[in-house]
Parts: sequence; structure tokens; C-alpha cells
Amino acid sequence: MNDIWTNRLSEYLDGELGNDERVALEAHLATCGQCYAILGELRQVVTLAKALEDREPPNDLWAGIRAGITADAARLTPGRRPGVSGSRRFSLTVPQLLAASIALVLLSGGGVWMALRPTSVADKRERTTITSVAWTSPTDVAVAELQDALARNESRLDTATVRVVRQNLAVIDRAIAEARVALERDPGNTYLNLHLANTMRRKVELLRRVNALAAES
Amino acid sequence: MPRQVLEDTLTADSIAADTALAASGDATAFERLYRTHVARIHTLVRRMLDADEADDVTQDVFIRAWQKLSTFRGESAFGTWLHRLAVNVVLARRKSVGVERGRFIAADDPLDDVSSKPVTLELSMDFEEALARLPEGARQVFVLHDVEGYRHEEIARMLGVVPGTSKSQLHHARMALRRHLDR
Repeated sequence: MNDIWTNRLSEYLDGELGNDERVALEAHLATCGQCYAILGELRQVVTLAKALEDREPPNDLWAGIRAGITADAARLTPGRRPGVSGSRRFSLTVPQLLAASIALVLLSGGGVWMALRPTSVADKRERTTITSVAWTSPTDVAVAELQDALARNESRLDTATVRVVRQNLAVIDRAIAEARVALERDPGNTYLNLHLANTMRRKVELLRRVNALAAES
Repeated sequence: MPRQVLEDTLTADSIAADTALAASGDATAFERLYRTHVARIHTLVRRMLDADEADDVTQDVFIRAWQKLSTFRGESAFGTWLHRLAVNVVLARRKSVGVERGRFIAADDPLDDVSSKPVTLELSMDFEEALARLPEGARQVFVLHDVEGYRHEEIARMLGVVPGTSKSQLHHARMALRRHLDR
């Protein structure tokens, strides 16, 4: 176990030896049962390390984090991070989602108008560089897949539900289109990017829930 | 598109949207990010530091992530960015508390008092226990290289050592863990 090659076994295992050393070590392994056995055990250690799984913490840490970020928000200039302390978590049913999507559409026209209105220098200073470029393409693909699935499954839903779903998808699509047109004019507009992100996410959620509902029917 | 690919795409998209929302101050979106990533971050922290520090340091990682979200440019996945932030927080903690570091496994086997069992379904838990017994320097190199997949050059930069030291620490860690498995 203490021969000159023992301390090189990890490098060999990781493919980090030069060619000459690798050939020499392989020749040694052919004659040294002890090094050969150790190499097998080191390989087992590496395999176990790669197979380790993540575990949830025993305690929910969110309360402490929330307290920390709320304190952080209080330090910041008012308006820089809106909604930090007042947001709540919602779990919506399909009917609620449908209602929410209608409300979303009613809001969207005004929202886009607000985003496109002339802005002050101070407003522009508040903008960040978040853009939708990084996530819209995969979302489009996902939405297309979900819509295909819905087309296949909608016969399982009653006619009234299908009609409402289609109507709401159409108005969501119009809201998305409006946001995209507005973003073409003002790609760095934070509000528009977030508005589009939210609308797309709501569309995905709606499609997923309707598909799940159809699958259960 | 295969189902798993579709689900991965949806998950990645949802995370990207939540990241944008959280960057604008939406704490609810940030909570979703927390719930998606907390197991990975807490596990990383627990493996690299002592278990009793894991909760505090994990909370610190997420609070720092919240504070730094405006600097996230989406050049990498949010999870990758968060993971790197966690590694930096852990290494900064290591420096700030002035713990002994860079120590190789001494002549006394640090795993001597770890319970020994044959290879069973419980092996991974025993392995975690054995890992926690390693000296800090060897443990951190082992976690970063063999568990997290960093290269020696990256580890050396993070720890402020030369790559040869990282390789040597890794080998000593593996040998110690091997002896544990060998019992």
C-alpha cells in the first residue's frame, strides 16, 4: 500500500496522468494485487460520492429568510423593490385561474399603456436589465406542447369548459402579443418584461391545470 | 418532445420567470425559488461545514441571493448562480471564523470512531457520516471535486492553493473513505 504508485491512483482514476505514467502504472497494476484492490475501492468511493442525494433541511428555514429579506427591504429606498412585504401565496383552482386570466386581460391593456406612457428620468433609472430573451423560447415550446396535448384531450371535457378555456387562451394570447409588440419598442422595460413573464407563466399554469383536469375526466 | 424534457423545460422556464419576479421584489416568487433549491444548498453547506452551522449559513446564502438578485444577468441558470454563491459564502465563512484549514489527514485515522457496516442500503448515510469526519480541507476538496464536479484548477482558485494541493487532499480524502468502506 505504500509503494510509489499508491499516491498516484486517484490521478489515474481521474485520467490526469500523462501517457508515460499511465502506461507505467497500468504495468504496475498488472503485478500488484494490493494497488489493484485499492483502485477498485477508490472507484467505489467516487461512485458513492456521485450518487449522494440532496436532503431537505430538517427545519423550514423560510421564516428566518423572510425576516432577513424584509429587514433588507426596509433598508432600501422605497419603491426600489415593490411588494416585498405584502405578497401572499395563492393556490388557484381551474375556475379561479379562468377568472384570473380574464382579470389579467382586463389589466393588460392598461398595464401596457402605463408601461408605454412617457417616463421620467427617475423612472428610467429604476429599470434593471432583466429581459425576456432567456426564457421566452423554451416557454413557447412548452406552451405549444401543452396546447397540442389539450387539443388531443379536450374531448374529455364538457363543451362549456372547452369554450371558456378557448376564450381565455385567446385573450391571454392577445395580452402576450401586446406585451411583445410593446417590448419591441422598449426592450429594457422592466415592467413589460415582468408583465410578459407573468402572463406566460399564467398561460402555462392554465394549460397544465386544464390538461390535468382532462386527464382526470 | 419527450415528457421529461418538457417537464424540465417548464421547470427551467418557471424558475426563470420567478427569478425575474424576485429581482423586482416579489418575495412570493423568491419563496418558490427557495423551496426549489433549498435541499441542494443546505446539503452542500452541511457537507462542507459542520452540520450545526448548516441552517444559519443556508439562510445567509438565500438572504445574500436576494440582495444580489439585481446582479444576476441570466448568463447561467439561476441554480448554478445560487450554487456558486453558496460555495463563496461557505469559503468566506471558513476564513472569517479562522478555522484550521489546508490540513491533511493525520496519522490517526479520523474515521476510527465512525460506525462500520457492510455495503447495504444504508451505505450512503454511513458515507455521509464518514464524510463529515474528514478534516475540513480534505472534506471540502472532496465535496467540491467528487460530489459537485468542480475541477482541481477551479478548486485551487477558490481555496487559494495550488492544484497539486487540491489533488493531494482529494486522494487523502478518498483513501480515508476507502478505509471506512473496507471495514
